[in-house]
Amino acid sequence: MIGVSGLSVSYGAVQALRDVSFSAAPGKITTVLGANGAGKTTLLRTISGLVRPRAGEVTLEGDRITGTHAEDIVRRGVGHVPEGRGVIAEFTVEENLRLGSLIVRRSRAERQAAFERLYGQFPVLGERRRQSAGTLSGGERQMLAMARALVAEPRVLLLDEPSLGLAPLVTAELMSTISQLCATTGLTVILVEQNAKSALRIADQAVVLYIGRVVADDRAEVVAADERLRQYYLGLVE
Amino acid sequence: MRQRVLVSSVVGVALVIAALDATFGVPTTRLRVALALLGALGVAALGGLSVARTRRDHPLVTRVLVTVVVVVIALVATARLSSNVDTDVAIGAAMTIVLLGLSFLTGSSGQISLGNGAFMGVGAFTVAIWANHHATSPLILVLVLAVAAGAAVGFLLGLPATRLRGPYLAGMTLAFAVAFGAVLNVFGSWTGGDSGLQLPNAENAPRWLVHLYPASTASLSVNSVWLAALSVVSAGVALLLMANLFASRFGRAMRLVRDNDVAAELVGISLPRARVVAFVVSAAYAALGGALWTVVNNAVTPSTYGLALSITILSLVVIGGIGTIPGAIIGGLIYAFANSLIGWITTHTGLNPQGNVASQLNGIIFGVLLVATIVFAPMGISGALRRLWAHRSR
Repeated sequence: MIGVSGLSVSYGAVQALRDVSFSAAPGKITTVLGANGAGKTTLLRTISGLVRPRAGEVTLEGDRITGTHAEDIVRRGVGHVPEGRGVIAEFTVEENLRLGSLIVRRSRAERQAAFERLYGQFPVLGERRRQSAGTLSGGERQMLAMARALVAEPRVLLLDEPSLGLAPLVTAELMSTISQLCATTGLTVILVEQNAKSALRIADQAVVLYIGRVVADDRAEVVAADERLRQYYLGLVE
Repeated sequence: MRQRVLVSSVVGVALVIAALDATFGVPTTRLRVALALLGALGVAALGGLSVARTRRDHPLVTRVLVTVVVVVIALVATARLSSNVDTDVAIGAAMTIVLLGLSFLTGSSGQISLGNGAFMGVGAFTVAIWANHHATSPLILVLVLAVAAGAAVGFLLGLPATRLRGPYLAGMTLAFAVAFGAVLNVFGSWTGGDSGLQLPNAENAPRWLVHLYPASTASLSVNSVWLAALSVVSAGVALLLMANLFASRFGRAMRLVRDNDVAAELVGISLPRARVVAFVVSAAYAALGGALWTVVNNAVTPSTYGLALSITILSLVVIGGIGTIPGAIIGGLIYAFANSLIGWITTHTGLNPQGNVASQLNGIIFGVLLVATIVFAPMGISGALRRLWAHRSR
């Protein structure tokens, strides 16, 4: 459960977020939509402590996490898959996964068990565990980045444009993986997307940002059906 | 099967060494036995490597075996080479340690340092100053002190380094390299000012080594064998530690710090802490190298540890291959034998060895090598060799 209230962020003179409030519930996918520069990425970066807000706060299960260091927020159970994925191409799939377990103290057997669980959720990664990440396709890399964030068993997963650069078919497959993951584990998922159509298909809740402000916050089907939102903010015109 | 390979390789080496002895004539039986044992150790390690296929299952065993092989080869060589070459080997092995340190900083965490020559100086002067006040301290203690001093200075310099990137960081470390000589001068009563310091007693070979060598051999050469061995073994230990560091949790985390610092923060790495630790490791390694130089040369002069040395170190890391262990060894070898090469050039071209050109040959050689590396082997010599190997085995 993540709560965001009255969040304002500025980069120098540019205000990226203005008084943003919403909440994301466990076992549900909350998607944050909006055009380029709407503040979606900034919102995720603020939640995970990479950016300090000028005003407002973020709470995790009711505890205020704003103002803590990024590495502490990761430790408290917020996994963030950044835009562009950030996997190391020369490392194997499994070595990349091991980077995700840096913050958890576990025995070798426990760690291996955690990896096996993830290979169950992402069978492609299991098949390629000894292959270098550079040989993976874009979709597989995104799976790897997500699996790496899940190694530490977070309660919240922040996904920044997972569909970036992926073909429509791969995107659809990825979205269904995210949907299953959320349903089976009870994770709180915040999904930032430009691809509003695919995101709305799996999301429970949708927040629409426009130049740093929340212009809509409602159930996904309601947002998807709103002609005004579709036209002006989501670019979904038939 | 495994045992048979081991036994036959040990016997093989003993035979090879015996044949070598017959050809070149080793002065004493004791030395011959010692060399044979050493050679056997090396080949046993080699045999173990080829048989065990440990690379994936036991990476630590593999690293230990490889280190033993490299160290044994160097030790057998130093026991048989002239004392001039032995000194070159000692200097080069110490340089390898320094290069390992900078390779870790630049190759793993992506930071750049033009101050590693000065970090060497910290170690070098720590040894000289300490020895001049406590002449009887055991060598190992003095080396540990030098490493600690280097690590401390590295920590202080690493703190501002957490906020600086790229050219700004290079600028800060450059300032340290330039200021180092001036600081030494300010504390002239301790550091001996421009003329530097002599060690009160030269580091002599221990008695067991003298016993191995025949009485007729000049003591100078036993000592240079000892100094070379000291440097080589130190480099072996440094190498093994670095190989483990590269493969450790921390080493892998550092790769993420270099490639994608946002992703690094998001897996829970504290960027400032990682960068400071990288600086500390790099400075400690440099200080150990500098300390060994003082021991080998029996003296230290401030002019050695100027900006030129820092630039040479950075060039050698690039020439050998950034972020690789073989690269550091290659760089150390090049440095070790640059002097012999210069000697060869001066005698074969009739260049005045004391002249202007000859004194600048060092810079010319490294400069040409650097440009050639960047043009023909952008991943350094070790990278080029690896590509060649991959190409051949395909």
